[in-house]
Amino acid sequence: MDQLSQALVSGLLLGGFYAIMVLGFSVIWGVMGVINLAHGEFLMIGAYLAWGLFRFFGIDPFASLALILPLMFLVGYLLQITLINRIVERPHLMTLLVTFGVSIALANLAKIVFTSDPRNVAVAYSGSFQFAGVTFPIVKTIIFAAALLIMGSLHLFLQRSRLGKSIRAAAQNKTAARIVGVDINRVYAITAGICIALTAAAGAMLSPTQAIFPFMGPPFTLKAVTITALGGLGRIPGALMGGLVLGVTEIFVATYVAGIGTNLGVATSFILLVLILVVRPQGLMGGLRPVDAEAD
Amino acid sequence: MTTAPPADKNGNETGKKARFPSLAPVHSLLAGWAGLALWLLLLLLLALYPYTGVSSLALLVGSQIFVLVTLASNWNLIGGMTGYVDFGHAVFFGVGAYIMAILVTGAPLLISPQWGFWQALPASGAAAALFALLIGLPTLRLKGPYFSIAMLGTLVAMREIVRVSRPITGGGIGLNLPPVLNRIGDYYLMLAIMGLVVSLIWWIQRSEFGQSLIAIREDEVGAEMRGINTTLHKIAAFMIAAFFTGIVGGFWAWQNTFIDPDGVFVETRTVEMVMMSMLGGLGTVWGPPLGAVAIYLLQNLLWSNLFELHLLALGVLLVLIVLFMPEGILGTLGDRSSTSLGRLLARFGRNR
Repeated sequence: MDQLSQALVSGLLLGGFYAIMVLGFSVIWGVMGVINLAHGEFLMIGAYLAWGLFRFFGIDPFASLALILPLMFLVGYLLQITLINRIVERPHLMTLLVTFGVSIALANLAKIVFTSDPRNVAVAYSGSFQFAGVTFPIVKTIIFAAALLIMGSLHLFLQRSRLGKSIRAAAQNKTAARIVGVDINRVYAITAGICIALTAAAGAMLSPTQAIFPFMGPPFTLKAVTITALGGLGRIPGALMGGLVLGVTEIFVATYVAGIGTNLGVATSFILLVLILVVRPQGLMGGLRPVDAEAD
Repeated sequence: MTTAPPADKNGNETGKKARFPSLAPVHSLLAGWAGLALWLLLLLLLALYPYTGVSSLALLVGSQIFVLVTLASNWNLIGGMTGYVDFGHAVFFGVGAYIMAILVTGAPLLISPQWGFWQALPASGAAAALFALLIGLPTLRLKGPYFSIAMLGTLVAMREIVRVSRPITGGGIGLNLPPVLNRIGDYYLMLAIMGLVVSLIWWIQRSEFGQSLIAIREDEVGAEMRGINTTLHKIAAFMIAAFFTGIVGGFWAWQNTFIDPDGVFVETRTVEMVMMSMLGGLGTVWGPPLGAVAIYLLQNLLWSNLFELHLLALGVLLVLIVLFMPEGILGTLGDRSSTSLGRLLARFGRNR
């Protein structure tokens, strides 16, 4: 019983992180129809930024978000107007190849700049506290709370603000949005900026909990795809639900598959993904776009 | 003036071409017998090459280029001709390499008696093909980007599984194969495999089987309605591509004498295959071999002194190819109006 509730709590905390990690990926896919295979690499960059700010300036990873968010917004904005906007109308193969190329380039750039030695961010509050017989790691609890906060603000932004409304309009019907005067390229660039800033923020928050190295990205990209398939595209409640399901599944596999379970995170996620895609190609919540609809 | 029915047919074809503007042209350059004759001549010259008294380094370089050409051609069969963009094709390379290593060393599974190279080589291909069957049955049902991602997932997951299965695969430490130095043998073996694979692709492209694959790429539902068993064709193409990729993986493990999960189940190898096919011309017969040679020369001539930057440059190059030359060298040469580089070439041609 104790082990079960501990696994459940650990899984939910991990799921909260996954939910915030997947948001950027899911919104880019939902709004532009671009599957960003460089997603994990932006997470990695966020983690390295947090490490650098912590190591050289002593800035706490959570406080460093104030710097990382605007910086990475700019990076995402520029990447979108220089690169992705040029291929967004082309077939999927092209966007996949370009983001794949970006991912390889970024990972190896990080390897050159930071070397492949794993880096750690050792914060003072890395311990844990007990509550009702269950252990809560402090950092992961903060991440969970921050994830809920960020998701709530993003939800409000998308639903209420004028800019958020034009982002949703561009996602629903690009042509109609253009007709009513939405500048699609600008909206796309802002969306990419927000999404990449969020992804980097997730990486920065992740930095105290795991080793940072240049090739940490691809597993996160894969998990992002799985969660999106679970929860649907660009939907914040869906991202939360998908993240929680994947987090709990992963921790349960780690707890109950003897010996090797802890090293099977990606394999678990992959099997879950293929199962979902084969059984329900439209995604569990029906949110994935049918590919044919995007062909023209 | 032609009669009405052919004109109608032509009209349909151009209409179809407009619907898929950035897919590679179906008819590549030198797709006929002339191309095959040139290819066989080239193979003959390459077979005579060692008799000119070259160094063992040149033979090694030769066999490495043949490996790349074979890999690119294999990827092109599933990614270019069938239109299923496989981002995890290196998984078959890895499976082949591991089967070779496990069978030849016998350890750590303790198979007695250990297998010889010539028994293990077909076995590594067969294992990869079997793996392709198992993986392909669920994943080939997926469309477009979902297939690509599922295959990328297969690759990353296999790396993890192999690293965890220490009793069979040696885990993260990897496996050592007996070192046997036979440069001239390696050269001829890979030359033979490459010759076989590229000729096979040439034949497939002319056969009804290949035309069915192209039909699946252009319009899968339409192909199915015309009576093509799409599942069978896709699985067959996938298994053929996996078989030879597995053989190359087995050969690579033998030549390299050491493998570990990070060395064989690596995304970079998939990127190389994709890039070579893209650079040469996706879906053409001679494009991927051309792209493979071009990429190899680029890597070695330009980047041998920038070793650190090599993979970074690979990623950037992939982006540039997609942006400026999506139809590759052969596609650009074949139809100058379709790509920005082609239009640039055409403009220079007109000015002169």
